[in-house]
Amino acid sequence: MGDSQYSFSLTTFSPSGKLVQIEHALTAVGSGQTSLGIKASNGVVIATEKKLPSILVDESSVHKIQSLTPNIGVVYSGMGPDFRVLVRKSRKQAEQYHRLYKEPIPVTQLVRETAAVMQEFTQSGGVRPFGVSLLVAGYDDKGPQLYQVDPSGSYFSWKASAMGKNVSNAKTFLEKRYVEEMELDDAVHTAILTLKEGFEGQISEKNIEIGIIGEKKEFRVLTPNEIRDYLAEVE
Amino acid sequence: MSNSAIDVPSRGGFSFDLCRRNDMLAKKGVNLPSFRKTGTTIVGLIFQDGVILGADTRATEGPIVCDKNCEKIHYMAPNIYCCGAGTAADTEAVTDMVSSQLQLHRYHTGRESRVVTALTLLKKHLFNYQGYVQAALVLGGVDCTGPHLHTIYPHGSTDTLPFATMGSGSLAAMAMFESKYKEGLTKDEGIQLVVDAICSGIFNDLGSGSNVDVCVITKGHKEYLRNHLLPNPRTFVNAKGYSFPKKTEVLLTKITPLRERVEVVEGGDAMEE
Repeated sequence: MGDSQYSFSLTTFSPSGKLVQIEHALTAVGSGQTSLGIKASNGVVIATEKKLPSILVDESSVHKIQSLTPNIGVVYSGMGPDFRVLVRKSRKQAEQYHRLYKEPIPVTQLVRETAAVMQEFTQSGGVRPFGVSLLVAGYDDKGPQLYQVDPSGSYFSWKASAMGKNVSNAKTFLEKRYVEEMELDDAVHTAILTLKEGFEGQISEKNIEIGIIGEKKEFRVLTPNEIRDYLAEVE
Repeated sequence: MSNSAIDVPSRGGFSFDLCRRNDMLAKKGVNLPSFRKTGTTIVGLIFQDGVILGADTRATEGPIVCDKNCEKIHYMAPNIYCCGAGTAADTEAVTDMVSSQLQLHRYHTGRESRVVTALTLLKKHLFNYQGYVQAALVLGGVDCTGPHLHTIYPHGSTDTLPFATMGSGSLAAMAMFESKYKEGLTKDEGIQLVVDAICSGIFNDLGSGSNVDVCVITKGHKEYLRNHLLPNPRTFVNAKGYSFPKKTEVLLTKITPLRERVEVVEGGDAMEE
């Protein structure tokens, strides 16, 4: 395809009107571990597989789900180190917003600013796009919200979404299972079932990570014990 | 040919040129506009379970009391509070900024903030500005290494003490501390001593007045007692109110309702993607 001649420089459009580097970044995301998010009527849940390269890795030191502010959390699919950089930048932006306006940053604003950072790296010299897609879950006065941000810098609000390896199966499953009036606990069960669909091997509290935010507007990552209880309920 | 009269801009760092200009102008009699100083008595002491901070609530602009009930005990972290004396804007801005930096630090480390971290961030900032940021602070908190109390001077030097006072009323307050402080105070004794020290500043120093604020910090818990004591209530309020004899005469009353000039049309097309 003529596109390959235009894939060396990020800032060059290909004849078909695409930026090939961004396509490649999306491929990197698509080969990352599956993660998903579901917006319930009274909260949001985000979850991800936590497959570690070896059984010798200390799984308690790996945090794939991070909080950006007390009421906003984020999960990713793709390259872990790129995620770390974005989390650091987003936390700083949220804190700067708070210093300027003395109110907690609304979810849409934080998503917009993170997306702007990701877009900068698609229009600058000598840099490459981020190889991650983010799922941002938050609860502010507009209610529970779930956003997906892509390497290109585009963002979408979802009722339920998935990314990574098993995206098509997971999305089909979510489309069938999603109900508007779902409560947070049901959403967690649905999330676990969706992860289970494409899971290689035995699912347990050690190889998945779940973060929730409820009406109290406090984002937190579930402890392995809590995940074990949810898993038992789902069985 | 290099012209020696041209000023080469300095490489990085804060430029103190305007400070020199201000000093030169002050010598010639042109003074800076007076800004709001907190005057102040601020104190802190360590008791058996943690730290107690106290402050008065008067803010002055030269000889005028501009705020009768301001807050001088600033939040730094859930387990660290800071009292500020000096220029009100400076203390508020510097504590706000360091509080923000501590929040980011907490996210990155996943741990509770330590008092020495707040101390170092503050003193670095104040030293960088060579004393031009006029904030004198009493910083206290309880972290995993125990209770800590520090004083920070505007030029960036710090002290670590079991009891401390700062501000214009510091001598009056220190007199109370020096005579009554002992190690291992209970919470009530500590609060009473802090209240006595602040009251001593309130009544004997012109730059301090109004009410007493107290903040008690212990391991895992804090109590912010805003206006814990109000020793200066407003007495003799005239119950009859005030009547002023000669009023402005009303000659004509005409009310013109505003006409709406803009029509709002609901709906319409959404903006293009």
